[in-house]
Amino acid sequence: MNTAEKAMRGFVSDFGPTAALSMESCVHCGRCAEACQFYVQTGDPRYTPIHKIAPFRQAYEREVGPFALIYRLFGLARKVTVDELTSWQDLIYDSCNMCGRCSLICPMGIDIADLVEKARHGMYTAGLAPADYLGLLAEKEHATGSPFRLSVTKFREMLHAIGDQYGVAMHVDEATADIVPTVSSIDLKTYPGSMAAIAKILNHVGESWTFRTDGFDADNVSLTAGDRDGQRATTLGVVQAATTCGAKTLLMPECGHAFTEMRWEAANAFGRKLPFRVMQITEFLAEGLADGRIRVKTVKQRATYHDACQVSRRGGATAAPRTILEALGVDLHELEDAGDANWCCGGGGGVALINRAAPLRQKAFEIKQRQVEATGMDTVYTSCSGCRQTLDHGGKAAQWNKTVGSLLELVADSLRP
Amino acid sequence: MESAETLGEVLGRRGFGRRSLLKFAIAMTSSLALPPALAPVMAANLAKAKRRSVIWLSFQECTGCLETLLRSSSPSIEALIFDFVSLDYQESLMAAAGADAERTLREAVAANKGEYLLAIDGSIPVKDGGVYSMTGGRSNLGMLSEIAADAKAVLAIGTCAAYGGIPKAYPNPTGAAGVEDLISGKPIVNIPGCPPVPEVLSGVLVHFISFGHLPELDDRKRPLAYFGTTIHDQCYRRPFYDQGKFAKSFDDEGARQGWCLFELGCKGPVTHNACASLKWNGGTSFPIESGHGCIGCSEPDFWDAGSFYTSLAGGSSAGWRNTGIALGVGVAGGLAAALSGRRKST
Amino acid sequence: MTLLDFARGPGLQGAWLVMVGGTAWRIAGILLLRQRLHLAAPRIGFAGRVRGGLATVFTRFVPRRTFWPRIAVSVGLSSTFHLGLAVIVLGGAPHIQVIHQFFWLTWPSLPKGLVVIVSGLTLASMIALLFRRIYHPVLRLLSTTDDYLSWLLVFLPVLTGILLSGETIASYRTLLTLHILSVELMMVWLPFGKLLHVKLAFYSRAAMGMNFARKGAAT
Repeated sequence: MNTAEKAMRGFVSDFGPTAALSMESCVHCGRCAEACQFYVQTGDPRYTPIHKIAPFRQAYEREVGPFALIYRLFGLARKVTVDELTSWQDLIYDSCNMCGRCSLICPMGIDIADLVEKARHGMYTAGLAPADYLGLLAEKEHATGSPFRLSVTKFREMLHAIGDQYGVAMHVDEATADIVPTVSSIDLKTYPGSMAAIAKILNHVGESWTFRTDGFDADNVSLTAGDRDGQRATTLGVVQAATTCGAKTLLMPECGHAFTEMRWEAANAFGRKLPFRVMQITEFLAEGLADGRIRVKTVKQRATYHDACQVSRRGGATAAPRTILEALGVDLHELEDAGDANWCCGGGGGVALINRAAPLRQKAFEIKQRQVEATGMDTVYTSCSGCRQTLDHGGKAAQWNKTVGSLLELVADSLRP
Repeated sequence: MESAETLGEVLGRRGFGRRSLLKFAIAMTSSLALPPALAPVMAANLAKAKRRSVIWLSFQECTGCLETLLRSSSPSIEALIFDFVSLDYQESLMAAAGADAERTLREAVAANKGEYLLAIDGSIPVKDGGVYSMTGGRSNLGMLSEIAADAKAVLAIGTCAAYGGIPKAYPNPTGAAGVEDLISGKPIVNIPGCPPVPEVLSGVLVHFISFGHLPELDDRKRPLAYFGTTIHDQCYRRPFYDQGKFAKSFDDEGARQGWCLFELGCKGPVTHNACASLKWNGGTSFPIESGHGCIGCSEPDFWDAGSFYTSLAGGSSAGWRNTGIALGVGVAGGLAAALSGRRKST
Repeated sequence: MTLLDFARGPGLQGAWLVMVGGTAWRIAGILLLRQRLHLAAPRIGFAGRVRGGLATVFTRFVPRRTFWPRIAVSVGLSSTFHLGLAVIVLGGAPHIQVIHQFFWLTWPSLPKGLVVIVSGLTLASMIALLFRRIYHPVLRLLSTTDDYLSWLLVFLPVLTGILLSGETIASYRTLLTLHILSVELMMVWLPFGKLLHVKLAFYSRAAMGMNFARKGAAT
């Protein structure tokens, strides 16, 4: 099998009726382009979402489609070349955040973001994932369970250091615990304060909890890179660790794709219902604030909030951050299109990890910049370290004077004893 | 048979003067859609015209066409035109029979070689050597070819002669065909209708007698003046069609109000004939005036074009059984495709 | 057999059978693929697959308000075209006749004049959509033979239908024949190209709705 054929097989390796309906129903109306930050910002028709999977159409038609027999018999489907696929790399990776805004506008109900994920399966299988960063991280994650090749000992040391630095009691590798929090590698690298915040809040709640060094890194780089095996291995590692210590709740960090994967896909990889609840941190905080396990002081602040696509639009937890902000007494000035129709920061879907995509990413960020400026707020809260990092970087590049804050850290800083 | 008397003299004897003939010619030119200026010419030519020999052969037919023509009412000039042509052979009407009749036919052909008009009613069976309809031991097909050879022109009277008609309807056991399918190299006029409108035949005859040639024909060899429009175009109920007022059954309020019969299966929109303008029984009425839709009897294969009561907006159903088979084949094919697709997906 | 007899007889039967069989094949081929697992616990408040699926079937008829400014032309033209077709097919007296003949359902028709006006609007919107398809960079990039063929096979019945209603440029028989044949061509192509979105749109929306409603996500 040559590279292109491998890619084609990889694409159809995860096809059921829903994905097939997505391939079959498109009427080429072009509306998805109008929902995509990359098309809207550049005007380049190549960034039309449904066009991004164009080369894979032939794979579907030949291998899985209802008339596949006829396509194969008469050789009707066009052969795709490796060159063509290589030239498509920037469409499948660099210019798609898998944010699902296109899926929201599509009059046919096509989940284009999901099709792009499948196209990435194909690209990864054929070795065509962008090597400059994302592909490299995915390989490391697949091999070691951590995209930054963080060893268990190193992680343990890091957590204790953070505990000491922020003055919070850390629970690491305890044999049993009700709550097992996980981390995002972005937190490890850039925002150690968020791990201190989790520890602080869980101590405040008073239930048994522990970080597990045998399954801590939840941000599934393999998922965004298109490595199905790596995605599965990473996920099962975390599931196993939480199961081992009898967790009732697996807490997902401030990370969008980690939530999507663990909340909605992990059980399928595991083969049965998970023995614990999976909650994104904002869901946990909102619940805690509502039932009184978490008590906070009022924060006198005006701010706006940036939704993480995978948590809000794609994850259904749109209300949670607003409940938290209300409980904190923050005067929330919503962005235009806030909530389910929110625009991606530009870094989602692993794009933040592709170095060469930086200029394009910045163009997408400009939308966010305009929207935040329109609210007149100085602070943007978000609940995804990916978004947070992208907004930080975007702001720096644009010489922006806004503060990007973590909702988790805000809660941790506002706890009432 | 052949007579030296002109039509003018015959008419004069019956009390029709020049003025009457001119009035008739004016009406005829109008009916034939000729320029009014031709009326005096026609009248003059008719006055001078000599008798024309007409040989009439009946094949697979029901004699309805002949009955219709004979029923022309009142002693009009039109009726007299029929009298004026010399109907030299017509099996149903002639007194002679058997060998006498056959001799009459031979003599008429010999005497008017190249000049007689050959009128045909009924279709011609061609299957199995034409054995399904024979006269005096000769097949219709044989007679037609032989006698048409020396005719000036052939008139195919009625839908059977023109297009094969009911004998040709599915499954057409006798291999019936119309005249135009079997004869070539002769001028042919089709006057379809089951039966045809009698005034159309007189119009064609008058034209032929006055000018010596056939009137202008359409692409189906029908006299354009009579078949140029559809029943629908001339129908007095057309305004209801345009307003969307349709009778839904033969005894509803719409039917009583005389609304359009389109939904009850009227084939007027696709039927070319002069019924709606010339009408029947001496201008009394035509089928739609009696409350029944046109059945399209003057159109080819009208008998096989579905029910008379099925609206033109519709057609024949494939049936539940065939639909079920198509569904089954479809689902089976889809299942096979899906099973093959399942193997690709892990 | 005249061409009209063919169109109203074997032509219609054949087109119907191809349409039924082809549609069954394609939809069975899609729906009988292996269902993907959904083992994750649905979000609390999930009202069930049927409710979720149905909701999206209806909500996707109208785009979210926030998208309107950027897709107004597309929405305007395609709504005119689709609603126009619905009025023509469901409101035109001869069409109700056909439905009545085959399916025993009937309802009052709209005045012919109104249907003709709507047909004109439909035709105009189709022409505009074609120009858009040719000249809009996104649509030009996306468009395939299927798009143009499907457009033509829908355009011809509308065009011949309008001509038939006026009975001007050719005889009723010719126009009726062309009209019916053009519809049959469309029926034959329907299961194999994008035209099947008349069915697939509902399946696809429902599938997405079921999936997203489990997550409590925006549909």
